Amino acid sequence: MTAYIVRRLLGLIPTLFIITIIGFIMMHLMPGNAFQALLFNPKIKNGASLLKNLQDQNGLNLSWPQQYVNWIGQMAHGNLGNSFEYNQPVSQLIGEYLPNTLELALAAEIIILIAGIPLGVFQASKVNGKFDISTSFFAIFLFSVPGFIFALFLMFIFSFMLNWLPSIGTVTPGVSWSGDLGDRLSHLILPALSLSLPAIAGYSRLTRGNTLSVIVQDYVRTARAKGLRQNKVLFRHVLRNSIIPIVTQFGFDIGGLFSGAVLIEEIFTWPGMGELSVNAVLNRDYPLILATLMIFAVAVLIGNLIADLFLAAADPRIRYS
Amino acid sequence: MATAAESNRVHVKSQKMIKPQSQFVLGLRRFARNRLALVGAIILFIIVFVTVFAPLFTHYSPNAANIMDTDAPPSPQHIFGTDDSGYDNLTRLLYGGRVDLTIAFVAAFMTMFLGTTYGAISGYVGGWVDSLMMRFVDVMLNFPFIPFIITLEAITNTANEWVLIAVVGFTAWPGAARFMRGVFLQLREQDYVIGARTIGARSSRLIFRHMLPNSLSVLVVLVSFSVAGFVGLNAGLSLIGLGLPINVASWGGLLAEHSNYLALRTEPYAWIPPAAMIVLTILSVNFMGDGLRDAFDPQARV
Repeated sequence: MTAYIVRRLLGLIPTLFIITIIGFIMMHLMPGNAFQALLFNPKIKNGASLLKNLQDQNGLNLSWPQQYVNWIGQMAHGNLGNSFEYNQPVSQLIGEYLPNTLELALAAEIIILIAGIPLGVFQASKVNGKFDISTSFFAIFLFSVPGFIFALFLMFIFSFMLNWLPSIGTVTPGVSWSGDLGDRLSHLILPALSLSLPAIAGYSRLTRGNTLSVIVQDYVRTARAKGLRQNKVLFRHVLRNSIIPIVTQFGFDIGGLFSGAVLIEEIFTWPGMGELSVNAVLNRDYPLILATLMIFAVAVLIGNLIADLFLAAADPRIRYS
Repeated sequence: MATAAESNRVHVKSQKMIKPQSQFVLGLRRFARNRLALVGAIILFIIVFVTVFAPLFTHYSPNAANIMDTDAPPSPQHIFGTDDSGYDNLTRLLYGGRVDLTIAFVAAFMTMFLGTTYGAISGYVGGWVDSLMMRFVDVMLNFPFIPFIITLEAITNTANEWVLIAVVGFTAWPGAARFMRGVFLQLREQDYVIGARTIGARSSRLIFRHMLPNSLSVLVVLVSFSVAGFVGLNAGLSLIGLGLPINVASWGGLLAEHSNYLALRTEPYAWIPPAAMIVLTILSVNFMGDGLRDAFDPQARV
């Protein structure tokens, strides 16, 4: 097993390199750069020479391979560079914005797992019963609604019509209870819900399917024949055996959650990585673009790795392939 | 003797030959029996009809600015009101549907085409070629999606909807490729393929004549789910501002226009219809996809 883990980890490194190379090339293919706006500002005299100075300072006049090697060398020392647009070290910016996105993604994942998996298990335990059919229909409906439309409706109903929950940012500014746990939770609920509701539907369908295929097995019948209560049967025997594909899917979805959070963060003005990366690309802020690209890629790769590890733990054939 | 033989001839009433029904027709019949799928198909048909024949339903033009009448609430002349530049909302909704549906369908077909070609070659050839191609697909799949789209849009000019289709299709083909490669790997081991190869059929004949038609049912289902996904993706991109420019009517664009605080709060008649259309389209396509999958699955027990 450890040999498999080590092999997979080693396999991640070339993938990461190729991703950075592709990202680097595409970044430089974008027309314009971060400083060209200076040329259009009439108040700046000598715009052309200022542009040239800034470009030289930031190494934009070097050849692409040279810039790439410089960046990799710097990153190996832990220095991610200075953002052109915010004029702060990139690591500082990321330290400010990344925890928010992680908070949102984590909350959404917790909701998905806590709500989706038991729902699927209960649906499967009473297959084609009233509960199953009604919630299945509801689940397919939820699955079809994109997350951002949920966000709009949730914001409309809970923030505007009922005025129960806030709709902007992470904390309420300027009041004495700003930053409290309750305050943060109230700001977190709507974005996390809109991120997680479509996924809950998907996970409950998946769990239902897996649980159904496990429930017809003989050992479940034996457990029932022995006299175990239905609950114990469900959660001790059935769930343990059907959970592996679900957690695998979960690993694959971690990367998707980061991307999906971009839209939700935009709607709720949640200060997270999504806004940071979008603004970075639009402003051609090269160090920031590369840093956010790295973080997204690492998140996706780690998620895939976790998923593959679970698959390997479940299916020994994969370990030795 | 001859006459006796004649009269002794057994007269068999010629039986009417029942024409065997093809797999396709059988599948269609199964589909028709699935009520949810039928409802989905009907809704989709209505949506397509209403958007294609939009001039029948509204006499305004989606680009006819009328600044005397901006931000009007619903009224008998403007059923859904007007927006900031005086465009009639209902008109923009209907004409925008054309753009959205076109982008979704064409992008889905393009993704399927690219992905299937790539996955078929990879799955059929196998060996180190397969490993290499799948490595590349892995890298592309691991590429974070939003920065990729933004960068592609910055490099190209997506005011043209065909460029947007190309961009969206380019980001989504790895998923289809991986899926189709799995399908082709499976198909390669089927008896009829092995048999055909044994008698010396060329690879191209194997792929086009034997394997592709058998993967068609899976393809159809994948296309339908892709369409649903692309409608949502397109609307989401327009919401951030990375889709078509806002002056082109589209559902996502309508949502983007009215997603600021003021419009969300006070003008629900402006953004709820586009949101509802998006949801209805995705729902109906999903139901159809479910129905198609159940209908064409050879192991369904209907």
